[in-house]
Amino acid sequence: MFRNNYDNDSVTFSPQGRIFQVEYASEAVKQGSVVVGIVSKTHAVLAAIKRNAEELSSYQKKIIPIDSHYGVALAGLASDARVLSNFMKQQSLASRLTYDRAIPLAEITLRIADRAQSNTQNYGKRPYGVGLLIAGVDARGPHLFEFQPSGVTQEMQACGIGARSQMARTYLERNLEEFEGASREELVKHALRALKESLAQDKELTIENTSVGLCGVDENFKLYEHAEVQEWLETTFENREAPAEEEGMEVDSDS
Amino acid sequence: MTSIGTGYDLSNSVFSPDGRNFQVEYAVKAVENGGTAIGIRCKDGVVLALEKIISSKLLKAGANKRISTVDRNIGVVSSGLLPDGRHFASRARDEAAQWRRTYKAPIPTSALANHMGSYVQMYTLYSSVRPFGITAIVGGWDPEIELPVDGQVGSGPATGSGGKKEGAKHGGPFLYMIEPSGLYWGYYGAATGKGRQSAKSELEKLDLAAGNLTLEEGVKEAARIIYAAHEDSKDKDFELEMTWVSSLDGPTKGRHQEVPKELLEEAERLAKKALEGDDDDDDEKMED
Amino acid sequence: MNHLPQAWGRPRDDVYGAYSNSFLQTSGPTTHTQSPIVTGTSVIAVKFKDGVVIAADNLASYGSLARFTDVKRLRKFNTRAVVGFGGDVSDMQYLDRLLSSLDIRENYAEESPDAQLHAKNLHTYLSKVMYKRRSDFNPLWNHLLVAGLDGENKPFLASADLLGTTFSSPTLATGFGAHLAQPILRRTVPDEATVASVTKEQAVELVKESMKVLFYRDARSMDKYSIAVITKEGVELKENEKLENQSWAFAEGIRGYGTQVN
Repeated sequence: MFRNNYDNDSVTFSPQGRIFQVEYASEAVKQGSVVVGIVSKTHAVLAAIKRNAEELSSYQKKIIPIDSHYGVALAGLASDARVLSNFMKQQSLASRLTYDRAIPLAEITLRIADRAQSNTQNYGKRPYGVGLLIAGVDARGPHLFEFQPSGVTQEMQACGIGARSQMARTYLERNLEEFEGASREELVKHALRALKESLAQDKELTIENTSVGLCGVDENFKLYEHAEVQEWLETTFENREAPAEEEGMEVDSDS
Repeated sequence: MTSIGTGYDLSNSVFSPDGRNFQVEYAVKAVENGGTAIGIRCKDGVVLALEKIISSKLLKAGANKRISTVDRNIGVVSSGLLPDGRHFASRARDEAAQWRRTYKAPIPTSALANHMGSYVQMYTLYSSVRPFGITAIVGGWDPEIELPVDGQVGSGPATGSGGKKEGAKHGGPFLYMIEPSGLYWGYYGAATGKGRQSAKSELEKLDLAAGNLTLEEGVKEAARIIYAAHEDSKDKDFELEMTWVSSLDGPTKGRHQEVPKELLEEAERLAKKALEGDDDDDDEKMED
Repeated sequence: MNHLPQAWGRPRDDVYGAYSNSFLQTSGPTTHTQSPIVTGTSVIAVKFKDGVVIAADNLASYGSLARFTDVKRLRKFNTRAVVGFGGDVSDMQYLDRLLSSLDIRENYAEESPDAQLHAKNLHTYLSKVMYKRRSDFNPLWNHLLVAGLDGENKPFLASADLLGTTFSSPTLATGFGAHLAQPILRRTVPDEATVASVTKEQAVELVKESMKVLFYRDARSMDKYSIAVITKEGVELKENEKLENQSWAFAEGIRGYGTQVN
């Protein structure tokens, strides 16, 4: 009866000039667990919540290092992110080979954006169902880019995408002034606090479910997980209740 | 919307019984919601200006440029779907590069507008694609002197006729606007996006066809018009992005560039002042 | 008589016999450039403490004929890179256009000089182009010197040739210059360590002297030349220099060719 006729494919405009398939793809991003990114004058940081399907399963990868100078964090369909990140790895390597240059972040962002755009204008394709935060340092300094399934990309000072990410963005907006001059450690703490804001009431950040990606001027992009994030978690949430932490440590010592 | 429910608006490249292509008309709707973009053809150059709505406080200020350079001497600004605008600019750059490979010289603005008009039109012909959700303004300066052919490394013989016509006029400022249908016209002043109506009426007041407006005046008028056009969506913050291209002996030396910061700020200051002046007038009227 | 258009301009069959189409055969192996045609001779360059000096004369020869006398063989790429071309001039023009298209792509966004391609990036790129073409058995018949500054704004000088071979040294010379100028350049700048003690004036003087020696002894050279100095301040390119203070006194002492018998 009230079926929407204009949402069957990504090559049909609605009478209002909207493309529903693209808008629906953006909903897939909101299903993914939250990731945040922040840049300062010297560093770019990504932080993410990893989900596991069940107790005994492993956690889903949320941050993918691409080249030594940058990485991406994803929210949404991980398989789409893998396609895009493989493409980014290829392009980054090609830049190093032909120019002996680390690919500028604005350039690589535009390349995936253009790919995403073509998926919204040609029949038989579907928009990517993933949002990305691209963070790193190039010749122009630290950068953070947001990528959306529509092919919209924007350079951000700070950003959060994924489930309940509005809470994280509210935290980021409230502390926006502090980021530019923040130190490496302060920046990570801000990212973790923003992440915490988006967490459901009964959830905690643990060394199992937290990923941090960090890159700086004269510091290569590195993914920090498990024991490597423990100290950050401890110093960021000092007055946290003990159990979650102990639980995390036990698992760590087992592995 | 008489079109809805008739079934003729569900696929691109389909005519309705009264000869309309609804998908193209819907694409125009996407443009009408975009930030206002304008272009002014002055006597010694072209100005492009864009009202960039700030959708989030977290955006990096001053980054995210949306007016693109094509080759060196042409600028493209569009209103509507951002990614479609980038697709358009990227294609325009390819067209310009291809032209250079063939003719060893920069593409004339008119030829670029023509090629891009054809390209956009192709996206109205097939049900396997959708039309561009943008209206693009293309502004450029074609060199007024004869440039060396690309790759030329010397001057060749100093004598001989070469078949040149003395005193022939070449180049100058050019401005075109390309719509989702592929239709394009040349303009003295072009406007598109949400505030196009008020921008158009302001542009008409300038009597651009007379060809008296200088580039620097054009920059200030463009800023004022964007600020005036923004009045309708006053609740949202915006950034003014502005570029220009002048003659070879002008301020940009025939290149398409961002308007320098000092001039941009001066133009914005005057634009705000002009708006306040308008408000005062309104207040006075109300008092009357 | 055959009046059909395909017979127009052909020798008459009744007079000359059937036309042999074998002369129109286009099949056979694909061949590419086997030798350069219009050529430029040496390019020489030397590093000094703040940058690099590079020079090449303005001659393009057609075999032994001095065919074009105002050919600029130094190409400024941006504020920190200059390319000098030796070898085939039309291939140089192709590379010039290739660099133009690269420059156009690099300048879509207005960037600070520090974010632009530097000489090292450019040399890597050009060497890949040269190597690709030689691997296609279709080489660009050039020997290039890339002079400028690297990512740390330190002097950079390297060469790439038609085989895709790359080489780097504080002094470099292509073509005849590799034999005649290189030893002179090395007398002043024998190694990387010496570069720090060489001033711009010394380097320019050294290059000018070497250009003079090349003009004395290289029959495919000319006394009009281009010279560029690349430093942090940018590129200073002069394209119409004339060799000064020439002395041909040594010529009289040369024996073994010309009308002299011994």
